[in-house]
Amino acid sequence: MAVRVLIVDTRPQRSRKLEQSLREAGFEVVAVIDGEDALHDKVCELAPDAVVVDTDSPGRDTLEHLASLGQRYPKPMIMLSESVDPELTLDAARAGVTAYAVETLSAPVVRSLVDVAIAHFRSHALLRTELVKVQRSLESRKLIDRAKCRLMERYGIGEEAAYQRLRKLAMDRRLNLNDLAREILSTGAVD
Amino acid sequence: MSHALEKTALRVGFISLTDCAPLAVAKEQGFFAAEGLDVTLCRETSWANIRDKVMLGALDAAQMPAPMPLAATLGVAGPRVPMITPCVLNLGGNAITVSHDLFRQMLALAPEALREPPYTADALRAVIEARRILDKPPLVFATVFPTSTHYYQLCYWLSAAGIDPLRDLTLKVISPPHMVRALEMDEIAGFCVGEPWNGLAVDLGLGVSLISSYEIWNNAMEKVLAMTEAWHLRHPQTTLALTRAVVRACRWLEKPRHRELAAILLSRADYVDVPQQVLEPALMGVRPHRPGEHGIPQPEFLVFGRSAANFPWRSQGLWYGEQMRIRGQLPPNVDVSAVVERSYRPDVFREAVAEIDMPVPTIDYKAEGVQHHAWTLQEATAPIAMGPNAFFTGERFDPVREAVHQQPAGRVH
Repeated sequence: MAVRVLIVDTRPQRSRKLEQSLREAGFEVVAVIDGEDALHDKVCELAPDAVVVDTDSPGRDTLEHLASLGQRYPKPMIMLSESVDPELTLDAARAGVTAYAVETLSAPVVRSLVDVAIAHFRSHALLRTELVKVQRSLESRKLIDRAKCRLMERYGIGEEAAYQRLRKLAMDRRLNLNDLAREILSTGAVD
Repeated sequence: MSHALEKTALRVGFISLTDCAPLAVAKEQGFFAAEGLDVTLCRETSWANIRDKVMLGALDAAQMPAPMPLAATLGVAGPRVPMITPCVLNLGGNAITVSHDLFRQMLALAPEALREPPYTADALRAVIEARRILDKPPLVFATVFPTSTHYYQLCYWLSAAGIDPLRDLTLKVISPPHMVRALEMDEIAGFCVGEPWNGLAVDLGLGVSLISSYEIWNNAMEKVLAMTEAWHLRHPQTTLALTRAVVRACRWLEKPRHRELAAILLSRADYVDVPQQVLEPALMGVRPHRPGEHGIPQPEFLVFGRSAANFPWRSQGLWYGEQMRIRGQLPPNVDVSAVVERSYRPDVFREAVAEIDMPVPTIDYKAEGVQHHAWTLQEATAPIAMGPNAFFTGERFDPVREAVHQQPAGRVH
């Protein structure tokens, strides 16, 4: 019988992908829930073998409480010393993953579950960093375009000339283009 | 500073609660900096996270509920990792609050038990009995962690009225900032939590605060500054410096004008993130009661620096150890008193404050539950004005005599 896993994560995009990978790895995902609402009842009702939770989820204390109630509830990974070595626990913590598992799960199963989750959280974090970079550069380009238009209007010059003037101004004032564009747009001052 | 610090850049964890004030003040008023410490305060979302990050070294130290270092050293409701506290952050600041609905039912069934606050759980027992007859499911109450002061306070209050917390109710754990929403969503009928969350529930008209932690046990330690024993051993001077900074912040917090400033500070998004008016009552010595009414003046509702507040009394640690036993959390044959000596470290406290001009207790245990009025502690480097230490049950907890006759504390392995 497949190992039944509950995912608790506030980021739907990440949890959907994690769900898919866990299924491919042979786990059964019984539910994906976000945040804390009704977590206690869900765990009681679904009786999962393991829970994968975002370390920063406030629902963690609810899971700790359930773990203290008895063997039928998943225990924190940090307490499954026999199946999980400290290195993996630390890796998981760094990636923002916490796992809970019932004591009857075998060590290799817990390890593979945690490995899949860590890999996912890491790649999601990378994606997010990339996304932030792309957004920043898009915004900065828009800003520079608007500043350029402002110069074109004011001096009746062409696009290329406006861009050259912007670059020269930036160099003279030892500002990067982005900051200069912001200043021009907020103060209207160009000289 | 007499000795070099082993580490100066520190990460210290806290939870969004009014009683994170000593840490916030130590940071913002420069008490950490004055000790040569560059402290980053890390807001965490759960007590489990605080415990794990301290254990794994992702945090150097943290705010914790007073029983937590003891529970960690014992391995109760979590992994066994020896932790210590050299210093208490505050006394009191919690309350038990129930939903309006439940309060109405209590009032209908047992008005005589609800004449004068603080209220016992007798009226709640009447509701529980009525629900049993009607075959309704048990009421759901929440606390914040299986080994938090709130858990033991709620269980103690329930038991005093003959309610079995585990059989007659369903107990859940919900993190403090989510408590009010859970009450609003009818997910729970009541909770025991620290401020500002009782005050906020009452302000929003969602519930009634029945009893405060001060009324349950006067001037009992609430949150502590804690770290692993191993961290302390590797950073003895840094531990002393941290302790001194926090003690100075707590003394600063005892000036009424400073309490107002603390309310402004804590309302910030990176601390508690609720309006200043919600934070003020508890900080100004008013405990929440009913919606639309002023709270009840209670100057010792939340104490930071008076009454030797920062001293980690082993007698109080022992009381919490006793609660763990009563609630079935301890394995049999555990010598709790030895573990209490290991986790609550008045010796470190004394060393830390040696260079501050303040009187310090010379004993580690005092009789709890025996002082019903203000009194003076004579067993100190200079007499200390103390607040009462009574339990609402009239319990007397006097480990002093036992401790004297005990064998020297053994190490726990």
